[in-house]
Amino acid sequence: MLKTRARFSFSFGGTSIEAYPGDSIGVAMFRAGIRIFTRSFKHHRARGLMCVSGNCPNCLMNVDGMPNVRVCTTPAKAGMNVTPQNVFPSLKFDWLSILQKLDWLMPVGWYYKIFTHRFIWSIVSPFIRKAAGLGKAPPIINNFSSTTAPYDHSYIHTDVAIVGGGSAGLTAAIENAKQGSRCVLIDDQIALGGYRRFGTVDTNKNENLIQQAMSEKQITILSHSYCFGLYEDRLLGVVQLPNDNTQGESVTHIRADRVIIATGTFEAPLLFENNDLVGVMLSSGVERLIGLYAINPGHQAVVIGDGARAEHIASLLQHAGIEVVSLVHSEQVVSALGSEQVTGIQTVTTRINCDLIVVCGHLVPNAGLLHQAGASLEWVDDKGAFIPTHLPSGIDAIGDVTGEHITPAAGPSSLNNDSKRCYVCFCEDVTTSDLRTAIDEGFDQIETLKRYTTVSMGPCQGKMCQLSSIEICAHKSKRSMNETGVTTSRPPNPSVSLGALAGPNHLSVKKSPLHNEHKELNAVWMNMGDWKRPFYYSRTRATTMQACIEREYRAVRERVGVIDISPLGKIEVKGRDAGKLLNLVYTHRFGNLKVGRVRYAVMCDETGIILDDGTISRLSDEHYFLTTTTGNTEFVVQWLEWWLIDTNWDVHVINVTGGRSSINLAGPKARDVLSQLTNVDLASDTFKYMMCRQAEVAGAPATLLRIGFVGEMGWEIHVPADYGVHVWKSVLEAGSSHDILPFGVETQRVLRLEKQHVIVGVDTDAMSNPYDAAMPWVIKLDKEDFIGKASLTTQQSTSVHERLIGFTMINDTHLPEDGAVLVCSGAPVGRVTSARFSFLNKTVIGLAWINADLAKEGNSIAIRINGNPAPARIQQAAFYDPSGDRLRM
Amino acid sequence: MSFRIPCPQCGTRSAYEFRFGGEVLTRPRTDADADAWYRYSFARKNTMGIQTEWWYHRLGCRQWLQVVRDTKENRVLATSFIEKKEREDCA
Repeated sequence: MLKTRARFSFSFGGTSIEAYPGDSIGVAMFRAGIRIFTRSFKHHRARGLMCVSGNCPNCLMNVDGMPNVRVCTTPAKAGMNVTPQNVFPSLKFDWLSILQKLDWLMPVGWYYKIFTHRFIWSIVSPFIRKAAGLGKAPPIINNFSSTTAPYDHSYIHTDVAIVGGGSAGLTAAIENAKQGSRCVLIDDQIALGGYRRFGTVDTNKNENLIQQAMSEKQITILSHSYCFGLYEDRLLGVVQLPNDNTQGESVTHIRADRVIIATGTFEAPLLFENNDLVGVMLSSGVERLIGLYAINPGHQAVVIGDGARAEHIASLLQHAGIEVVSLVHSEQVVSALGSEQVTGIQTVTTRINCDLIVVCGHLVPNAGLLHQAGASLEWVDDKGAFIPTHLPSGIDAIGDVTGEHITPAAGPSSLNNDSKRCYVCFCEDVTTSDLRTAIDEGFDQIETLKRYTTVSMGPCQGKMCQLSSIEICAHKSKRSMNETGVTTSRPPNPSVSLGALAGPNHLSVKKSPLHNEHKELNAVWMNMGDWKRPFYYSRTRATTMQACIEREYRAVRERVGVIDISPLGKIEVKGRDAGKLLNLVYTHRFGNLKVGRVRYAVMCDETGIILDDGTISRLSDEHYFLTTTTGNTEFVVQWLEWWLIDTNWDVHVINVTGGRSSINLAGPKARDVLSQLTNVDLASDTFKYMMCRQAEVAGAPATLLRIGFVGEMGWEIHVPADYGVHVWKSVLEAGSSHDILPFGVETQRVLRLEKQHVIVGVDTDAMSNPYDAAMPWVIKLDKEDFIGKASLTTQQSTSVHERLIGFTMINDTHLPEDGAVLVCSGAPVGRVTSARFSFLNKTVIGLAWINADLAKEGNSIAIRINGNPAPARIQQAAFYDPSGDRLRM
Repeated sequence: MSFRIPCPQCGTRSAYEFRFGGEVLTRPRTDADADAWYRYSFARKNTMGIQTEWWYHRLGCRQWLQVVRDTKENRVLATSFIEKKEREDCA
C-alpha cells in the first residue's frame, strides 16, 4: 500500500536515500540497506537499529545541523541533510574502533585512576574530548536580529492531560471528554495507537478509538510530541517536534487539574556477550519494522526468549518470510558472534548461523514521569518489574505502565557474566565487567554506582540499562531489588534542546520619549537594563568613537551639553508621613529637609549593604521627589511599599518614571541657556547648588533640580513625557549660540569618573556598605531608627577590610578591564570597578576596591593588564574640581 | 519551581508572576541588644516544612502578600494581604 504513494529523497552523508510518506529517517535508511547507524560513545563499536521506538541511543544523528536526533522516530522530509556523528572518518570504517582493543587502558572510573596529575590531563584531554561524546553543538543562531526564530513556546490550561496515545490513553481521553472535561492528549510517536498500531490483535478496535478521539472536540491531540517533565502543581513540559506546518521545535507548558500517565512499557535488552552487535534487535523493534513498514530486518533469525511472547515473534517472522533458525532460551545464550554485524550465536550447547538475533527483552513500565512527580517504584517479583505506587494527588496511571500484563522476561542469566563485551549501558559503553569491578571497589549503592560508572547517565537516561544495572548491583551485593532501589528520575527526560527551552526572543525594549530625536542625531545605541540609550552620537564616518566622545566631553566642560536621563527612576512620595517613611528607609535624615532643597540619598538593607542611591528633593511640605538608579526603580517602589505595610501612615508612593521626560543640562554656560527658557531666577545666590524649584521651562511645567553628577553647574529638568521633545528641541535651540552638544552615556561616565562619583551596582556590589565605599557622611547614626542602623553601627566601629579608592595610571594608556586585578608582591589585593581615559590630564583614571591597609593617599599600586602589572597611584580626592567650586558657580 | 500561588486579588497564578520577599520576620525594637539584631539581620530559619513568607505580585495587582508554604513540597497552604505586620516599632 505504501509503495503506491509518492516517493521522495533526502541525503545521508552525501548519498541519496529514498523514502515513502510516513517513513522515519531511520526506517528509510534501513530499507536502503544501511545497517550501521552510529559508533558508540567510548569504544566506537558499530551499532545499528535496536528499539526503533526512540528509546535507545543507537540511531543518534545530525539532521539539518541539529545534533543527537533520534532518526528512528523522526519523520523523513524531502531534502533533509542527515550526517553521522562521532565517526573518524565514516560509520563503516572508523579508525577509532581500535579503542575497543585498548579498553584495558580505560577501566571503570579511569578518570579517577589515571588522571591523578594535572599535567597528564592537559595532554590527554583534547584527544578524549574529540574521541568521546555525541554530536557537535549547532552554530549559534543570532535570534536578536531574527524575526523568524526557529523555536516557539505556548501555554495550555486544561482539565485533564493524558500522556501516551495508546489504547489506554485514547480510552481515558474519550471517557473524560464525554464527561465534559477538556483533555490534552500527548503522544510521542509518528501516529496514535501505541503498540496496537503494529500488532495483529484488536486493530479495528484501536482504529475506532483513534477516530473517536480525533473527532471529539474536547480533545486536543499533540502528536509527535514528548513530555520531558512532570513538575510541581501538575505542570507538564512538552516538546512538539516540527511537523509540516512548523519550522522548529515548540515547548508547550501544560497546566492540568488532573494528569493521567498512560506511557505503557518499553523493552530493555538482555545481557550476553556481544549483545550490541549490529543485527541484535529488540522484539518490539522488529515488530515495528515488519508491521508498520513491511521491512524484513534479516533472512535467518534466532529468537531469544520463551513463552507466548517468543512464539508470537517467531510466527510473525515466519509470516514475513524470515526463516526462524532457532528459538533459544535466554539462559542458554553465551554470545552473539560476528565482528560488527551478527553472523551467528553461540549457545551453551551449539553454534547457530544467522544474520538476525531478536531479543524478547524485559518489559519495563515507562514510569519516569510518575517517579519525577514523587511516586514510589516498588519491585514486584512475579512481574519482574518496578511498579509505580503511592501516586501524588491529581496524578493517575493507567494501562501497561501500572504493570498489568507484564510478566518477567528472562531469568537473571547473565548476572555472573564478566565479559568485557556484555553491554549494560549502550549510551556510555558500560559493561557487566565494569559494574562488577566498581561494586568490588566499594561502589555497591545504586546511586554511587551510577555516578562512578556513568551507567544510566547517557542520552537514553537509563531506559536501556537501569533494570540490568540494578539487577547486577542487587545480585552482587546480595540485597533484594527493593533494598537496592532505583536511581532518582529527574527532568528533562528525554532531553530537550537548549534552543527550545530558551524559545523565541521576547526581549522588552524601553524607549525614552526622546528616542526619535537621538536617532536623528545619529546616536550609537547601548542597552541599559531594558532601556535603549545613546552611548554617544556619531559624527562623520571618519570620526572615531574616541574623538566623538572627546568632543562631547569638551562641550560639557568648556561650554554646555545636554543628556537624556529619562530612564532614571523617578518616584513621587506624597502625604503627611512621607518624611517619616524616607527617614526610615534612607540612611540620611529627610524629615528635616527644607522645602526647595535636594539631598543625596543612599538606601541600605538591614545588613548595611547599599541597595540604591539617588537624590531626594522636597517640593512642598508633603511632597518629595525621588530619583533612583535606572535598573532599581521597580525594586525601590516595592521596598517603599513593603515598609509601609501595616503602618497606617499617610503616604502615597507613585512611580512616575515613564510619565516624565528628563534631561540634564550641564556646563559653565548652562545658566545662559536655561535662562532663555524660564522666568525662574537662576542666579547662584538664589538658585543654589542642591536646590529645587517647580517652574515653567519652554512653557512646560517642569521640576528643576540643581545637581551635578558630571561635575559642572547644571540642572536636571523633569517635564511630563508629552512635552519632552518640545523641551529638548527648545534647549538645543537656546544653546545653539553656545554650540551646545547632546552627550551620551559613555561621555557621562568619563565626566562622573573624573569626579569619582560612584555608580551603585557598578562600583559597589552585594558586599559594599557606605563606610567601605568611602561615604560615611551619608549615614546618620544619631537618627532614632533607619533600615540597617544596627548593622552599620557595628560596622562603623569594626575595621574595614576593603575600601573604594580612586587611582591614576602612570605612563600607561592601556585601559584595565572591569574587574582587573590589583596586585601587590604577586598577590591579589583588589579589583578595578571602573576605568576610563580622562581627557583632563590625558591619563587613565578609575575606581577600585583595595585592601584597607593599602588604601592610603599617594600609595603606588599595580594593576594587571594583559598579564603584566602596570603602575598606578591612589588618589582619593576627585580628579576634577575637588573643591566643587564649579558646581556652585 | 512550578507551583502556583492563589493571589487574594487576582486568583491562582504561576509563581513566576511573583517575586519572593523572604521569610516573615519580626523586626526587633530599636533598643534590642546586638544579638537580637544579628539574628534578625543575618540568621534565617530556612525551614524545611511550613513557613510564612512574603511574595510580591509583580505581574498582577502589584501588592505584597503573605504566603504560608510547605517548602518541602512547594505547596501553598494559604495566602493573605496583611493586616498586621509583626513589627514592633515602626514609629
